[in-house]
Amino acid sequence: MTVAATTEKENSAPVTTTDAPTTDSAAAAGAASDAQGRTLPVLAVDLVTTPELLGSLAELARGLEDAGVGALTLSDGGLHPIHVASHLAPLTRSVGLLPRTDAIYVEPFHLATQLMSLDHISHGRAGWLLLAETDPAVPPTVGRELLSLEQTAREAADVLAAARLVWDSWADDAVVRDTEKGLYFDASRLQYADARAETFSVRGPAITPRSPQGLLPVLVADTDREAVGEAATAAADGRVLDVDLAAGADAVRSALETALSGAEDGQAGEGQPALRLVRLTGLDLDADPLGTVQALAADLRAAGLIAPVPSAGVDLRTQLGLAPAPHVADPVRRSDRARLTSKESA
Amino acid sequence: MTAGHWPLPTAPELSEEARALATGTAEHPIHPEHTPTGQLAFGVFFQGVNSSTIWRLPESGDQVAWESFESLIRTAERGKFAAFFLGEGLRLREHRGVPFELDVAGRPDAQTLLSALAAVTSKIGLVATQNTTFNDPVDLARRLQTLDLLSGGRAGWNIVTTDNAWTGENFRRGGYLDHADRYTHAEAFVQVAEQFWRGEKISHDGAHYTVRAEGTLPRSAQGRPTLFQAGASPAGQDFAARTSDVIFSPHASLSAAVDFRRSIVERTVAAGRDAGAVKILPGAEIVLAETEQEADEKVRWVRDLQIGPEQAIALLEQYWGRDLSEFDPEGPLPDVPPEVEESGVTRGAGFQYAKAEELTRTWREEAKEKGQNILEFARVKSGARRGEFTGSYDAVADRLAEYAALGAIDGLNITPWLIPSGLDDIVDHLIPRLQERGVYPEDYAGDTLRENLGLPPL
Repeated sequence: MTVAATTEKENSAPVTTTDAPTTDSAAAAGAASDAQGRTLPVLAVDLVTTPELLGSLAELARGLEDAGVGALTLSDGGLHPIHVASHLAPLTRSVGLLPRTDAIYVEPFHLATQLMSLDHISHGRAGWLLLAETDPAVPPTVGRELLSLEQTAREAADVLAAARLVWDSWADDAVVRDTEKGLYFDASRLQYADARAETFSVRGPAITPRSPQGLLPVLVADTDREAVGEAATAAADGRVLDVDLAAGADAVRSALETALSGAEDGQAGEGQPALRLVRLTGLDLDADPLGTVQALAADLRAAGLIAPVPSAGVDLRTQLGLAPAPHVADPVRRSDRARLTSKESA
Repeated sequence: MTAGHWPLPTAPELSEEARALATGTAEHPIHPEHTPTGQLAFGVFFQGVNSSTIWRLPESGDQVAWESFESLIRTAERGKFAAFFLGEGLRLREHRGVPFELDVAGRPDAQTLLSALAAVTSKIGLVATQNTTFNDPVDLARRLQTLDLLSGGRAGWNIVTTDNAWTGENFRRGGYLDHADRYTHAEAFVQVAEQFWRGEKISHDGAHYTVRAEGTLPRSAQGRPTLFQAGASPAGQDFAARTSDVIFSPHASLSAAVDFRRSIVERTVAAGRDAGAVKILPGAEIVLAETEQEADEKVRWVRDLQIGPEQAIALLEQYWGRDLSEFDPEGPLPDVPPEVEESGVTRGAGFQYAKAEELTRTWREEAKEKGQNILEFARVKSGARRGEFTGSYDAVADRLAEYAALGAIDGLNITPWLIPSGLDDIVDHLIPRLQERGVYPEDYAGDTLRENLGLPPL
């Protein structure tokens, strides 16, 4: 991606987790850590967005929150995952909401806008479980050809970088409401995304002011890592351990123990992104799903394997042990540069 | 009464003006195939980017905060509003190469927000303006159907078209569509969406792309999202007559509304649909007070807050294409020529290209003749006058009852000038009076948007 070099560097700096222990940022953010100073992963339950889920969706989400789950991931089962996540935002108080949604066969501008809108609506509880679609049935729905695995990985990294540029295009204090000068916002506190990749470009700025978290946490599930590719996985904020509930509570616990012990140096081994989330898949809606999850959550928490129950009002970055994402202003992209230029020439 | 063949109506509320506009019978005053329902439905448009929402008052709420949207929609649902509308932003509006700083700007994605609002409401419709040029039909159809299912059949789609390359800079295809093709393209787009909603196999080979897909979601309680259309040009009207359930119109005056109704009915019948198949909702701003005199004062106060000195200069700069900041807003219009190649640059929807040289000359003469300074002139030019629906509670209620009796409109799409409290006086004072006059529902007719707009089942 040929984004202005300084920008890319600055922009990716706060979220690079590939070769540094993350304990410092975790401690700074006040996230839970164990006796060894390791950040504990947040427990998530995956809901597949099938139409059959509609009747029980609200009750299920509230029940899972009450059962001590820290986040809900929404996997695409037909209903649009971002819409379902957004629908759950006012129905819940503290759980993180992470749609697992495709970066490839979408408009990057729309995707970035939808995700940052979810962050506004949920008061900073939004995250993105980045998926790179490889199902050959999907590209023809948008009139495109299926990309190779290599192209897919490249595009996933480009879309992730573009999304962050869109998210970071308004400063926190850009809406000034200066009645004296008649200014609703200050254009000098906005910047163009100016994201130029091989297959798309996005001019920006965002049509949405900066969202509560600024940059949403972007995670990659282990099952998606191959398609997402190394670059996007490395650029993401962390990895997600996937565990099938059907394997039973002991298997879940043992998988988590292995994952945690496998990275003694603060979870972030060489080339290994930090483990931020453990995602329980295969929730059986017919077999007391709330009871099952509640017992499991209590067990894992007592064993010191997962982060504490999230508190309302704390954003997802903090829950996940990520440092806040400050706005990085790039003078080259500032949105009032036309005005500056015209003044210089005058 | 000028229309000789229209018998004296039994409805005593009709004014001389209304009788003069009627050309048919008492049952069919406007068109022989159109029977007025005598009922009005209200929608509310939370505009986002625009110049009519006042942000300078202490009670002006946050334009992006969830609480603002939740508060407004709860008031609207208390007032039995049929629908809540959100606009779509595709690029931040610019003025002379810089994002336009004087008006409200920046908004959340419409459907993402409506999906959340569906969770805190139970009856009101949820309508998103969505563009056919910079969306993919299957992706958009699936999102709309998701919203329709999440809300139990309350989703609506306001179909709009755009074609400029400036907007396209944010999207994969860029500025790929010619202006002339925008409705042909939109119609093909809607056809693909409808196939998706019917759960069909889609095999579309179009001028701009091919689509292979299959609808996989169940039908919603209303069958499919309700279709709205905003284009009032002849091409837009024909598109609406063939495709839409509701058309927005800019025609709020009684005579213009009657003409527009007649035109839509003719086109709808010609398209082989029922004369009442397309509902008409003009966009409207409502300014109310206890008395007529107070309402007049209030509308002047609202205009002053909407168009301040900075907005007035910016409006002229848009046509002059140059910096006019040295001119006094209280003085005459600028006597400098426009920079023709600079003016008329895209500022997003609602800002039309103009022949700058001729226009600025005409404007100077017009303002001089009327003795208007820049500020006064700008307030008039931005539609800043006493609106159709400004007045005392009773006067506005009477006027709307007359629109309903004549069948000129099916309701209004109201743009509040204040967020989020801008509907309070409408819901507390106007709606009860409309209900007393029997032209506004006492309660929701049903659970779906179609039902609450009075549209027949699909």
